[in-house]
Amino acid sequence: MLADDAVLFREGTARVLIDAGFEVTGQAGDAAELLDLVSRDPPAAAIIDIRMPPGHSAEGLEAAVEIRRIAPDVGLLLLSQHVETHHAMRLMTEFEGGVGYLLKDRVSDLATFVSDVRRVANGDCVIDAELVARLVDKKREGDPLADLTERERTVLAFMAQGRSNSALSAELCLSGKTIEAHVRSIFMKLNLSVDAGDHRRVLAVLAFLRR
Amino acid sequence: MTTKASFARARTERPPAGTRATDELPGPSHDGRGRRARRIAAWAVGLLCAALVIGGFSLGVRLPNLHNGLIAASFTAVGLFVVGRRPGNREGWLFIATGLAHAVMFFGRQYGFFAASTAEGADALPATTWVTWLGVWPLPLVLVLAGVTLMCFPDGRLPSPRWRPVVAVMMATGAVLAICSALWPVEYAENSLSVPHPLHVGGYDTAQRLWNVIAPAAYLLIQLAWAACVVVRMRRAEGDEARQLRWFVYAVAIGAAAMAMGLIFFGSAAPGVLAVPVVAVAAGVAIVKYRLYDIDLVINKTLVVGAMAAIITAGYVAVVVGFGRLVGVEPGPNPVLAIVATAIVAIAFEPARRRVQRTADRLVYGDRPSPYEALARLSTQLSGAGRHADLFSELASTVAGGVGAAEVTLWVGADEELVAVASWPPSDHGSQLATAPKNLASLGDGGRTHVRPIVHQGSLRGAVTLNKPPGEVMTSSDDRLLHDLAAQAGLVIDNAGLAVELQHRLHEISLQAAELQAAGKRIVAAQDKARRRIERDLHDGAQQRLVTLALTLQSLSQRVASARDDTLVAQVEEARVQLSQALAELREMARGIHPAILTQEGLEAALGFLAERAPLPVQLDVCLPRRLGQDVEATAYFVVSEALTNAAKHSGASSIAVVGRLRDGRLCIEVTDNGQGGADGHWGSGLQGLLDRLATLNGRLTVHSPVGGGSRLSAELPCE
Repeated sequence: MLADDAVLFREGTARVLIDAGFEVTGQAGDAAELLDLVSRDPPAAAIIDIRMPPGHSAEGLEAAVEIRRIAPDVGLLLLSQHVETHHAMRLMTEFEGGVGYLLKDRVSDLATFVSDVRRVANGDCVIDAELVARLVDKKREGDPLADLTERERTVLAFMAQGRSNSALSAELCLSGKTIEAHVRSIFMKLNLSVDAGDHRRVLAVLAFLRR
Repeated sequence: MTTKASFARARTERPPAGTRATDELPGPSHDGRGRRARRIAAWAVGLLCAALVIGGFSLGVRLPNLHNGLIAASFTAVGLFVVGRRPGNREGWLFIATGLAHAVMFFGRQYGFFAASTAEGADALPATTWVTWLGVWPLPLVLVLAGVTLMCFPDGRLPSPRWRPVVAVMMATGAVLAICSALWPVEYAENSLSVPHPLHVGGYDTAQRLWNVIAPAAYLLIQLAWAACVVVRMRRAEGDEARQLRWFVYAVAIGAAAMAMGLIFFGSAAPGVLAVPVVAVAAGVAIVKYRLYDIDLVINKTLVVGAMAAIITAGYVAVVVGFGRLVGVEPGPNPVLAIVATAIVAIAFEPARRRVQRTADRLVYGDRPSPYEALARLSTQLSGAGRHADLFSELASTVAGGVGAAEVTLWVGADEELVAVASWPPSDHGSQLATAPKNLASLGDGGRTHVRPIVHQGSLRGAVTLNKPPGEVMTSSDDRLLHDLAAQAGLVIDNAGLAVELQHRLHEISLQAAELQAAGKRIVAAQDKARRRIERDLHDGAQQRLVTLALTLQSLSQRVASARDDTLVAQVEEARVQLSQALAELREMARGIHPAILTQEGLEAALGFLAERAPLPVQLDVCLPRRLGQDVEATAYFVVSEALTNAAKHSGASSIAVVGRLRDGRLCIEVTDNGQGGADGHWGSGLQGLLDRLATLNGRLTVHSPVGGGSRLSAELPCE
């Protein structure tokens, strides 16, 4: 399911997804149309532009909240021209997983995008790498991140993006145990409690980074 | 109280003595005949009196009788003068009667004195005893007549009908005494007359004994009666009558002073007696000519000169005699002491004169400020800062106080459009002053209104109009004071004009400032609107197209991959990466033009974004309970953005704190860094742009940046 007021972009994305083996069950030009389509035939995932008519502010986000209410199993991937921590936090706090927040540019990186869509459909979280990088690079007084090793910083960034340990071990070509050790070390250094569940972990890390 | 009030009204309604030429004459035909008859009668009496006085003086000058001659001559002359100038004035006739009676007495006594001084005695002249008798017995009646004359001064009428019984008793007493004196020689001895009494009625001893007891008391009562009447009249008199009475009292005082000086220094009553005509002349002036001379000024100067003469004499005597005796200098002329005395008098003269002048002013003018005080007071008021409306009121009250006016109005403007700006007594509400403009000529229409144009630097600036209380006229000193005050008023009006013009200009400037501010606000709003539109155009247009292009490239790269052309794959991938960078750059640009988050999520979120991206650690403490106006949010955002950029570039700070609060409807933003301070120089065009933005919102921006002490930028924006 796709919702974006820009027809060309919508069509392009649809073609990319179809090429990648997805079935595009519907396309909507605004939030109302999207809700109508979703309620009639709930898809595995909905890819929604945050900024849509009529207000061009955060209509996509409001629509996502409504979809979660009427069809809790629909994965929600929100796209935007620019990513804001503010919106990311809202997504992570208001939704219990199955949400993603990406720059629109990401659709051109087919492999990653397709995997992100699948993760969202599977109930995982996806946070845009640029946003996470910005938070990790954020200047802090007496920066606690300074204690982290380069590898730990990379692991932290991936965690913030919503990757699971297994995804991390695949990405970084490290064993699951090594990844676990890194994660423990990070949580200890940052004085965070190790939380069960990927979603909670992402939230905790994001909240920390945002401070 | 009622009678007193009605009496006062009755008197004020009557014009003052001497103002009506023919107040006793009912018709024109009667007028001519009556006037001729009166003139003939007056001439006849005048000739008779002159004959008696000249005849009397031809028989010698004798001090005990001198006063009768002087009274006869002066009162008759003044009476004739008054009757000539004011035929309707009864007082003139009373003067003539008094003069004639004295003339008869004078002649009779002269006759007796002359006869007694000759060797032949009473037989030296014919009918000596009878003629002398005529000079003696009328005395009580003449005294009553003189008393009534004084009681009726200045208009020839009693102050009120209630005095008629008093006059009746006086006349009865006088008649009884006169009859007694006519029958027995009871008054011959005390008048130094040695001529015998023509009648020889028995019981002289008893009569003389009774006379000695009754006569002094009766005389005293008559004197007290008229004195009381004069005092009562003086106390109640206002306006012209008061002025006339002051002339009279002044003359009496001079006479009394002359009498006292004569008795003290020369042991003689001659100076006092010689001063008697002064009283008559003063009374005549009071009736006929009082308008010409300001008695107040005369009294004032007399008091000052008299007091100074007394002080100088006393001081001189004290030094020469007292000090001389104290240090044992021999009596007699001593040049040293004389010089010392002169020096002391010279040094003490001016301070003493000033004090005496003040006392005299208070005595003469009462609470009314002297002309000098009025001017001095006005000068003080002029120099003290005040609204020109107050100054006008002060001016009006100063004029009123200075010339004793009942009503004063101050007009301002050119000749044809004079507008009343202040009045005295002050009206409770301004409505009285809200009259249509008048021209100068019509200001005096009120009849008794005095008009004084105010001219400054050759052109008419306004006018003063005033009404004196009923019966009072403008004296020459009033006129001079009014002239001086009017000159000052010209200055005040000129200043007030300047002040009004200044106020007008200020008003214009403030209007222009408001217009400028509104224009600035519109420009900033338009600018913000344009920025938002560009950002949205970018978002919906270029960014969207580029993203779509990236998708196309994506498809292309897939197809190229299947074509197994590595170079082509690399080129397409390169294009995709460059496009991605271009998108990132475009994103930054759009954000710089206008951050979408500011419009979408508000200031708090937008500042959070700024803090996230700042090159320095930022402690963000922003707590805003509600969204604010777009212009306020944008301005605050750009203020913080600029402050963060500056701090990062120049301050060398290691951290920055941003605090934002809403207090009393004002957004307060504070950006503090811990850098090296002295940042004033680094705020270039950026600061000016912010100041311009803030100015359009009535905001305030202060930068506190002491060298070495960090910088603090505070901005305050009204959010209503």
